[in-house]
Amino acid sequence: MRLIIRDDPTSVGEYIGNYIAKRINDFKPTPENPFVLGLPTGSSPIPTYKHLIKLVKEGSLSFKNVVTFNMDEYVGLPRDHSESYHTFMFREFFSHIDIPPSQVNILDGNAKDLIGECNAYEARIKEFGGIELFLGGIGEDGHIAFNEPGSSLASRTRIKTLAYDTILANARFFNNDIAAVPRMALTVGVATVLDSREVVVVVSGQRKALALSKAIEEGVNHLWTLSALQMHPWALIVVDEDATAELHVKTVKYFKSIERVQDEVEAMHDALRAKGIEEPVGSME
Amino acid sequence: MNGLICFTNCLLPREDGSLVEQDLWIDERRGVILDAQRTFFLRKERPDRIVDLGGNILSPGFMDIQINGAYGFDFSVYDGNDEEYREGMKTVAEKIVETGVTSLVPTLITQEKSLYPKILNLLRPFSTPTSANLLGWHAEGPFIQLAKRGAHAPQFLVPAHEQFASLEAVYGAANLADREDWLMETGDTDAVGVRIITAAPEIDGVMAAVEETVKRGVVFSIGHSIASTDIATAAVQRGARLITHLFNAMPQLHHRDPSIIGLLGASPHLSAPMSPKRVAHTHAPLARSDSLTRRLRAAEQESPKAASEAFDDLLTPPQTPIFANRDSELHLQKGKVTDMAFERPFYELIVDGIHSHPNSVRLAYTAYPEGCILITDAMKILDPHLRDGVHEWRDGKRFVKEGDKLYLEGTDTLAGSVVTLDKCVRNFSRFTGCSLGEAIKCATYNPAKCLGIEAKKGTLRPGADADLVVLDRKGYVQSTWVKGKEVWRKNAA
Repeated sequence: MRLIIRDDPTSVGEYIGNYIAKRINDFKPTPENPFVLGLPTGSSPIPTYKHLIKLVKEGSLSFKNVVTFNMDEYVGLPRDHSESYHTFMFREFFSHIDIPPSQVNILDGNAKDLIGECNAYEARIKEFGGIELFLGGIGEDGHIAFNEPGSSLASRTRIKTLAYDTILANARFFNNDIAAVPRMALTVGVATVLDSREVVVVVSGQRKALALSKAIEEGVNHLWTLSALQMHPWALIVVDEDATAELHVKTVKYFKSIERVQDEVEAMHDALRAKGIEEPVGSME
Repeated sequence: MNGLICFTNCLLPREDGSLVEQDLWIDERRGVILDAQRTFFLRKERPDRIVDLGGNILSPGFMDIQINGAYGFDFSVYDGNDEEYREGMKTVAEKIVETGVTSLVPTLITQEKSLYPKILNLLRPFSTPTSANLLGWHAEGPFIQLAKRGAHAPQFLVPAHEQFASLEAVYGAANLADREDWLMETGDTDAVGVRIITAAPEIDGVMAAVEETVKRGVVFSIGHSIASTDIATAAVQRGARLITHLFNAMPQLHHRDPSIIGLLGASPHLSAPMSPKRVAHTHAPLARSDSLTRRLRAAEQESPKAASEAFDDLLTPPQTPIFANRDSELHLQKGKVTDMAFERPFYELIVDGIHSHPNSVRLAYTAYPEGCILITDAMKILDPHLRDGVHEWRDGKRFVKEGDKLYLEGTDTLAGSVVTLDKCVRNFSRFTGCSLGEAIKCATYNPAKCLGIEAKKGTLRPGADADLVVLDRKGYVQSTWVKGKEVWRKNAA
């Protein structure tokens, strides 16, 4: 696992935006072999989306041959609702880039057969040969996607009841009316995320500091589902200074010291790829 | 190409007067504004054509609900030749787009009675693929007050002794048919069509005709009137929803009987369903118009001069009526105003800097911003390319044009306006100090709402007609779009 620390959320967004752009461009996606990207919602990834939009407008990045899968969507919330994840993704990202609508996949929280919808989603991911890079964020309770504390670390896309913490945190988007916050969501599972060839997680703000510490300084634990990332061979977490508040000084120093070899790792990875060796080499431990 | 256009890098005026940085998607073929998100997720399409507006403002097209003519054509002149008249309508509709106007309501000043049915029938909703929309008609007169007739011909003014039947007799029953029937005649039930009548509610029979007029889907506007506060209020309670060119052709604001202008400050105290009863001097508030009426009668004996504007309002200030005290509980919520029994009417302002002083414009807007509608009230001479100097009018009379000022030759009588609506918007923002977005609202959403067509015109709502104007940050028109097609573009200087 790599941990990259930047001064503020904007710098975090630029770092991840550039990183993803490089991965897409190096991949040289085509209509037959598109780059498959997993995407989150929430406030943390917004600076990343802003930077990606800038790169598209500058012409140095295109989503013409990118297929996206979103992590989650509320159940029963109309697609046009101002807080639905369809609305979020369109407003914050898809409307500003050049992705063809047919290449965008978001779970349908209004499907008649919700279980069928989830299974079809997993199947569709497989059809595309799995996800190349999954970008994620975390909740204050350490959840990745809507995999709340206690979720199975082997979980797949499914219906999930939201934790009370999450409902409280989201009430601010529903006029502080707790009753108006949806109680359920469809979400990819922890295992769905871990299946992707690479995972990049954005963590910003002091409120996420404890969750970050639990996820990377303690053991794998289903009460902090992000900790499952420790089992992934090619994971990157990018955080701002505020989010490091609960980390040991030792941890911060260690990750800062290994950042400088990042480029070498990248170069090695590219070289292996060029030789047709697909084995990921991201782990520094 | 899939016929969809995305306007990007632009500011969109919202219905609350704010400006937001956002894209707008339209369907060029159907000529409508799209719900971008639905188009993306349900139609699975995104626009093939992207128009970068370079930070300019993309506004709904302007709407002028009172305009007498332009580019040499006068809506009030009909020489018995339908083709010629239609050609004139077409000329105005096609040229006016350079001023950012995409919808207008041709206005007819008082005519000889027999001409109305014919002209109003010609003024059904009309547009060509590259022109602004003529939305219907605005009949200003003949049921107006002699004392406030302005440039209207005194010999053609009439009372409405038979109430609504008198209106039908003058305008033609077919032209006052129920909205659906009237639109049906037009052949396109989907068309947006409006009718406005400006009349003085104190004229005999007019007040009794207001309700039926409104029921037929015609907007009743108070104007060219000396209605006292009581009468003006009663007209609004019966359904009048507009005031014609506020401040002009009406009694000036008097604090004891604020008359028509005072409607902008209508007090909940007087408008409530349980309004307190007057205790004394029932007729006192009418003194102002009474004195005027007396002098008027005297004046009628002489033959009125066509060019003379109006009479001085009054000699004796009337008394403010005395109302019985009410003892209901007072509310305790700061910022809230007690509910009114009726909505205050919209009001038209000519913001050429001549017909109303900037202070007056700001005073009206501050009193009731939601009701403000900018109009040009322009004469046929309106043409931004016309040079200053002497121009022919009619009956041997000639205009002198001096910037936005227009006189009858040899007099200092204002002969109407020659200001364009885009200039009114710029003036309005300067005069009131409001933002450009709020000024735009007064030339788009407010008039559309007054006419009840705000779902189709004067708005950027999904489903509305893609009638648009691009403005730079100074409020100058860069390009104009009608039904999704660019119909005018400023020449690169």
